[in-house]
Amino acid sequence: MNSKTSNIGILFFILIGVIPFAAAFIYALLYSFGILGVFNDGFTLKFWESVFSSGEFLSSFGYSALIALVSTVLSVSGALWITLKFKESLDKRFLSFVMYLPLAIPGVVAGFFTFQLLSRGGFFARLSYQLGLISEARQFPDLVNDTYAIGIILAFITMVMPFFVLLFLNVYKNERLEDLGVLAQSLGAKKNQVTTKVFLPILLKKTSILIVLYFIFLLGAYEIPLILGQESPQMLSVLIIREIKQFDLSQISEGYVVAVIYTIVVSISAILLFLPKKGIAHET
Amino acid sequence: MFLEVERVFKSFQKEKVVKDLNFSLDPQHTLSILGKSGCGKTTMLKTISGLVKPDSGRIMLNGEDITMQKPEKRNIVYLYQEDLLFPHLNAFENIAFGLRLKKISESEIKIRVNNMIHSLELEKQALKMPNQLSGGQRQRVSFGRAIITNPSLLLLDEPFGSLDSGTRQRMQVLFKKLSAEFKITSLFVTHDLKEAVLMGDQIGYMREGMLKVYKNKTDFVNDPETGVQNEIEFWDNLKIRTGTEMSGL
Repeated sequence: MNSKTSNIGILFFILIGVIPFAAAFIYALLYSFGILGVFNDGFTLKFWESVFSSGEFLSSFGYSALIALVSTVLSVSGALWITLKFKESLDKRFLSFVMYLPLAIPGVVAGFFTFQLLSRGGFFARLSYQLGLISEARQFPDLVNDTYAIGIILAFITMVMPFFVLLFLNVYKNERLEDLGVLAQSLGAKKNQVTTKVFLPILLKKTSILIVLYFIFLLGAYEIPLILGQESPQMLSVLIIREIKQFDLSQISEGYVVAVIYTIVVSISAILLFLPKKGIAHET
Repeated sequence: MFLEVERVFKSFQKEKVVKDLNFSLDPQHTLSILGKSGCGKTTMLKTISGLVKPDSGRIMLNGEDITMQKPEKRNIVYLYQEDLLFPHLNAFENIAFGLRLKKISESEIKIRVNNMIHSLELEKQALKMPNQLSGGQRQRVSFGRAIITNPSLLLLDEPFGSLDSGTRQRMQVLFKKLSAEFKITSLFVTHDLKEAVLMGDQIGYMREGMLKVYKNKTDFVNDPETGVQNEIEFWDNLKIRTGTEMSGL
């Protein structure tokens, strides 16, 4: 019975998860080699060559990776600090509600909120004007659609950090970090050593896969970079959609090249991440 | 006396958990402490280790007043009921944890930890992570980690409570061996009568926050409050019944 249920589960996984994904990937791959597409007439490497020679993809990939990395590092660091500093207070109903709230806000809304707050015509610019800090809008610093992607990073942090706080709080309880901290103290650890040698390594080790997955998720994020990002370089998803949706149909294949490369990079990362680890030993 | 506890009281809000704790212990001796759940045994151990501050009283260790000393300065190790290992470190590193805090040289750490691993018969498990060890192995690592730092006093809070009877017996023997080998002074809290008698040089019984330490094992056995007489009676009756059944065959 169990094996029958598990077989049905695998079948559903293949039907719903694997086949559509594989079909889409093969379609994109064929498109990228010019085998499919209205204006394409057979196998060619010119779209791949064009993508690599233009350098736009590489700069977009590097730019996206940097934004995702900075956002992940800042979110994780902030969440660790909040968790370890306010763990008792976060158990209270109101504060846990405040932490949960940003998780319910969709990316597109977070993007618009950030735009409304940080743009030159937004809330903080107006507040600065009223307070006499600036005398005209252009004196307000570029915080959205800017080169350093400050708006994107802030929006990402707003969305991601609460998730990590909740995750770390959960690990803190499940792994009995309070008791391990007491134990470390009784073995001679000072408070800062308890943090650096017990709390941080355990929290980071237990959540490392999710941290990497969030990095991958931010790498491919779309709505927030679309609203808050600059013209060039753009983040990967925005670049891919721009290429695929452009009026010049002969250039669509280049969009698929980027999509294929991105998919391969993410898939390899995911496979490495989920490769089976050493087995758990049993009672001897 | 090596450990002297004088008139220690501890309350949580209005509840008096430890009442007038008075006892002393010679060096390299083990005091077994029996008592029902919730009688204040864990609070007593945590107070002595410095993890809980007493409301009043004095704790002297090796002639020094440690009542107000921070837990990490006391050189007293408190061992939890469960084999609480650091999940991010393998068995070797778990044992080495206290030594690394003392900034001992790498070569000395290696020698001392390997010796300890040998004493604990854990040679094949040294590089395994805690989730790859059995309950008994984890408990041994936990012991090794505590003992290797040469604590002045070891506080064991029902350390074998979660083990099966066979593993428990082996651990009792191992603890006796290590106690002698590393000259350990310890307080051994347990629920188990037999274990209390086996492990302790002295025996105490805690009831509603008050600890009574017996002069010798005979006093302990003869005190009806400890439940030893009931236990003896039970086994005697069983013996008689079994004997009758056997003779009836």
